[in-house]
Amino acid sequence: MVSTLTTNERLFALIISALVSICGLALAAVGRQDLLAAQGFIIMVFGLACVFAVAQGFYEPEPSKERLSSYYDDPIKVGIALAMAWAVFAMFIGVWIATLLAYPELTFDQGWASFGRLRPVHTTGVIFGFGGNALIATSFHVVQRTSRARMPDQLSPWFVLAGYNLFCLLAITGYLMGITQSKEYAEAEWYADIWLVIVWVTYFILYIRTIARRKEPHIYVANWYFMAFILVVAILHIVNNLAIPVSLGHAKSYTVWSGVQDAMVQWWYGHNAVAFFLTAGFLGMLYYYLPVRAQRPIFSYRLSILSFWGITFFYMWAGSHHLHYTALPQWVQTLGMTFSVMLLVPSWASAGNALLTLNGAWHRVRDDATLRFIMVAVVFYGLTTFEGSFLAIRPVNSLSHYTDWTVGHVHAGALGWVALIIFGSFYTLVPSLWKREHMYSALLVEVHFWLALVGTLVYVFAMWNSGIVQGLMWRTYTEEGTLAYSFVDSLVAMYPYYIARAFGGLLFLLGAIVGSYNIWMTIRATPLTSRREIDVPQSGAVVVPGE
Amino acid sequence: MDVDHDTLVAFAKSWGLFYLIALSLGVLIYTFWPSNRKKFERAKKSIVEQDDKPWR
Amino acid sequence: MFHNLAPSWSQGSEAMPELFHRKLERSAIGFVLAIIAVASVGGIVEIAPLFTIDETVEEAPDMRVYTPLELAGRNIYIREGCYACHSQMVRTLRDEVERYGPYSLAVESKYDHPMLWGSKRTGPDLARVGGKYSDFGMSRILSPREVVPESNMPAYRWLARNSLKIEDLPLHLEAQRAIGVPYSEEMIENATRDAYGQASPGSDSASNVKERYGAETQVRAFDGVATNVTEMDALVAYLQVLGRLTDAAFEDTAAPEEPPEPIE
Repeated sequence: MVSTLTTNERLFALIISALVSICGLALAAVGRQDLLAAQGFIIMVFGLACVFAVAQGFYEPEPSKERLSSYYDDPIKVGIALAMAWAVFAMFIGVWIATLLAYPELTFDQGWASFGRLRPVHTTGVIFGFGGNALIATSFHVVQRTSRARMPDQLSPWFVLAGYNLFCLLAITGYLMGITQSKEYAEAEWYADIWLVIVWVTYFILYIRTIARRKEPHIYVANWYFMAFILVVAILHIVNNLAIPVSLGHAKSYTVWSGVQDAMVQWWYGHNAVAFFLTAGFLGMLYYYLPVRAQRPIFSYRLSILSFWGITFFYMWAGSHHLHYTALPQWVQTLGMTFSVMLLVPSWASAGNALLTLNGAWHRVRDDATLRFIMVAVVFYGLTTFEGSFLAIRPVNSLSHYTDWTVGHVHAGALGWVALIIFGSFYTLVPSLWKREHMYSALLVEVHFWLALVGTLVYVFAMWNSGIVQGLMWRTYTEEGTLAYSFVDSLVAMYPYYIARAFGGLLFLLGAIVGSYNIWMTIRATPLTSRREIDVPQSGAVVVPGE
Repeated sequence: MDVDHDTLVAFAKSWGLFYLIALSLGVLIYTFWPSNRKKFERAKKSIVEQDDKPWR
Repeated sequence: MFHNLAPSWSQGSEAMPELFHRKLERSAIGFVLAIIAVASVGGIVEIAPLFTIDETVEEAPDMRVYTPLELAGRNIYIREGCYACHSQMVRTLRDEVERYGPYSLAVESKYDHPMLWGSKRTGPDLARVGGKYSDFGMSRILSPREVVPESNMPAYRWLARNSLKIEDLPLHLEAQRAIGVPYSEEMIENATRDAYGQASPGSDSASNVKERYGAETQVRAFDGVATNVTEMDALVAYLQVLGRLTDAAFEDTAAPEEPPEPIE
């Protein structure tokens, strides 16, 4: 890895790593009375590990100029490995906390092992650890290929990748210790948030610089989605996380927003994290890997443009549907509901566009489990966006809100859409990136597909059932006009579904483990492809490094 | 500054609606502008071509 | 689909959108600005008016701030992730009002940084839980299956074992004041003593708490043990004040909405 960096870049890498570890040491020192010390220590160790890694390869020979006429794929490879590692870890936590809901004594009287602290470990682990690393890795791949340009330098992609994973690590270790902002999907505290801003700005600049190196006047639509993802997530992250730390020596901070304002900002963030982290970025993935895998151009390019602007515009309004019947002004609720319903149009346009691309290649969908991963992901995307618009309608929401129905909806999206599109993309990407003929085992891809599909279905059906039962029990009246069920009655009715849900999640986790093994063996044991020539420069043109 | 809640709400609502219409028009024009077609066609096809190296 | 429509009028000029969009596209920066402009509108329209929402929110002159002990308890509530399973927002629906109590008003959470409205009820709503159970009952609920055998809540026994960190409470109150919570200089200075006093009835500090935060403020050994201020003291003090910072919600007379007819 270090050998692909120029001497200058190695020097910078060393300096940055050293700075990071010094910052960690400083935090540990000022926060010695607080949990912040432990976090500072983690930062320091991380920085030192990077220093050590760079120093080890520091005196290796400079990379040859040849490298400039091929793409820079090393960070992508590491990103894929990290994404799979996070997937297995965070999905395991997911299965574990699902089990905790049915068997709460498994907490063993340890704070760190309780549901409340482990839940953000699961959500952050899957969304940011698994999803985020997958997005970073695939975006590095897509932007280079569609721009036909190598990334401008070798250091910043590593900085983005390592820095981002440091953020995830800080967030998750923090939750276990009880450091949290309690803002859902933005639980990480102020110092981690600031660090993420630095990483994210670097990511943005890297992306823009790569795009600027392209020859084509037009930017391929997948990049639009990735750019919207990077940009809007930055805006959301900064606004939602504005906070005043108790002191520089405290991990704890207080958000500047309060009450109803905070609720609106939080769900503006929360819903748009779904929109721009879990949708836009993955649509970028879809618009590249689907055509590539199916070997057919996207059905309608124009439709993809229309749905891009539609999604970018409409999503931003939809967040207030999380606050129906609350103390939020009613007109904001109505606006949120209206736009949530309108959102169905661009969402289904994307899903339809993807499915019509496959029209005429259905035999390949049947034979190729990888393409099937992508196809089923699109179907779940269509179903989930429909369900989302449906749940945003006020009367429906009065039943579904606060129940497991929401959890089922989220997982239909997260498992069915996000995870499946990642697996489909990875199975497309891994052989080509490591220059293998094919995946280690097509059968294992098939096994993974069925485990993932069945797992998702079991999970989602269990949660639909429990959510609707729960919602109905809460509002059922007796003949005499009193509430028919106590809260505990509704809880007792949930237990079978909680166990079913844990089982569905377990199947999905097993699939992810099978997938990781398959990817590992592809890298280790599958023969190199014979078509080496497609990957070397034809003209042999020498390029000036950087710009 | 003397902006009360109602003014702000009224402005937010009307301006938001106007913006929505203007934006949809803009996007539609861009998408269906005839001369853009070639460009889109090319972008659409280019990614499935087998060519795994940078252009320069 | 769409490209079939185009040829009939595809001879048109390149002038306008070319100028506009070619430029926009060539420099990715233009494109970036377009995304920001398009994406930020929705948020601005919905959030901006909330900055002036104070003008429309119900008046609650009796609204008080959290005492240092309650604030510490709130931070424990946050730390343990209680919000993941308990909401603090009674919606304007008849069944919720009958189950939990008067529906929540915006003013009730105006000092909440952050709000803890929640999004999921694995357990019941807590917006009106204050005063519903005795302290003993409340702390027992934190070992839930001793009270409700069917409960799936974790047992929070460690809260009764851990001493509460109170020395740095002045800093907490100061940070809160910096973002608009009206803590007085006196409250900030005495935060540590007040936290101790509120959980130690009979101590010198106890009476000062009522002086500073109002006569209604509860001063008790919330965990049943007067000798030590534990995390359980703080959490129970916080739970006991939920929905009790103001009486506004109880005075509000507007009828809640009927829930839509359930689909049988």
